[in-house]
Amino acid sequence: MPDRPRVYKTEGVILRRRNVGEADSIFTVYSDDLGKFDAVARGVRKARSRMRGHLEPLTRSRLLIARGRSLDVFTQAETVTPYRALREDFERSAAALYCAELVDRFAAEHAPHDGLFALLIEAFDALQEGMAMHLTRAFELQLLGMMGYELQLDGCALCGAKLPEEDTLLSPMAGGLVCRRCRGMAGAGRIVSVRAMKVLRYGRSVDLASFAAIRVDEALGHELQAALADCIRYVLEREPNLPRYIDEIRRVTGEHGTDAHAVPYNHQ
Amino acid sequence: MAESTAGAPEPIARLIEAFHKLPGIGPKSAQRLAYHILRTSEQDAVALATAIQDVKQRIVLCSVCMNITESDPCALCGDARRDPTIICVVEQPLDILAVERTGAFRGRYHVLHGVLNPMDGIGPEDLRVRELLSRVQSGEVKEVIMATNSSLEGEATSMYVQRLLSPLGVRVTRLARGLPTGADLEYTDDVTLSRALEGRQDF
Repeated sequence: MPDRPRVYKTEGVILRRRNVGEADSIFTVYSDDLGKFDAVARGVRKARSRMRGHLEPLTRSRLLIARGRSLDVFTQAETVTPYRALREDFERSAAALYCAELVDRFAAEHAPHDGLFALLIEAFDALQEGMAMHLTRAFELQLLGMMGYELQLDGCALCGAKLPEEDTLLSPMAGGLVCRRCRGMAGAGRIVSVRAMKVLRYGRSVDLASFAAIRVDEALGHELQAALADCIRYVLEREPNLPRYIDEIRRVTGEHGTDAHAVPYNHQ
Repeated sequence: MAESTAGAPEPIARLIEAFHKLPGIGPKSAQRLAYHILRTSEQDAVALATAIQDVKQRIVLCSVCMNITESDPCALCGDARRDPTIICVVEQPLDILAVERTGAFRGRYHVLHGVLNPMDGIGPEDLRVRELLSRVQSGEVKEVIMATNSSLEGEATSMYVQRLLSPLGVRVTRLARGLPTGADLEYTDDVTLSRALEGRQDF
């Protein structure tokens, strides 16, 4: 392909790193124009590497990449937003890594999704600014929507009937809330409370900052988390890794921090 | 793999298979190594075989610091001149060599054998964290220095250990972060540079 340029530029978020060989790493990047892709950074683990630090996971960077035979190679990297709070605050780093993991698992290689990059940046910005961490629930809802799995929450996902104001079944298989009459056909699911239904509906389209501003107590936080985890697991056909890690952090940290009462964190 | 061993006598085929399992060794390199062994003197070949065997049989983890060692406890833990009240926590056994080379640390070590890598599902239970916790719980330790890499994973690990140990009243510190010797300011990332500014010192 002689007309393809040998190097290309893009701006993206580093999702993850895999170390290979003596001092190289392969990074998975999500960029607005190219979608998800892998490229290798040679010698990046050496202390004097010029790209080191600009290619840390959860960093937004401008990248210059050369086409390689099998893997493309980073040739220059420069930080756009370092998201320092996401690296230095334990809970925030876990929440941001969870968002990154979801993007990594949902996005197919070299297939950019409209709005996904903006959503990820919005989540990182909000977490960096110290907003309440239940905003990851809205991230999950909107990500599912972008990937074509938008939850049906306004009427019954199977028959379309209007849903009464009562505890209702949320079925991942049906792709949303299911009325009493259809329950038999909806497969496994979880009964969600009326207030959880309201929060889920709100989270589908609202900006993450507004979602973070709503009051979510611990019980509601757990309910939302479990309900959305069911849906994510159903679509991905596997368990993401981060939730287990986040639970472990909560266990160790105890009272230090939960989704419910996030402390303001204004640290650039 | 069948292709690279086809036609080779059984012992050679077995050796090729064994080399092929090593990291970074493809089928061709495995063949070349196997035929190289065939040509070397019996003495060299036996030396290689016993070296491999010894590594598996004689090397154990130090029951105190989890470093790899031939004797338990290891030489560093058994050295009475080293300060037992201060522990330097590292990711890998090789990191101990790096710290030892500086000659600036006279305390004890603890090897985690990895870092938290939540993206790949590597959690605290995969590291030697519990052993560190019980060392600190024994009461002798006054300070724990976190000397993990200054990567996202290394820092997450440090924060985790800090949270785990802080209720025990032990002082948990971490290595300073800033510019490495010989670094170009121009290419330094924002986080490193801002930390270097925060940690600036009088001449």
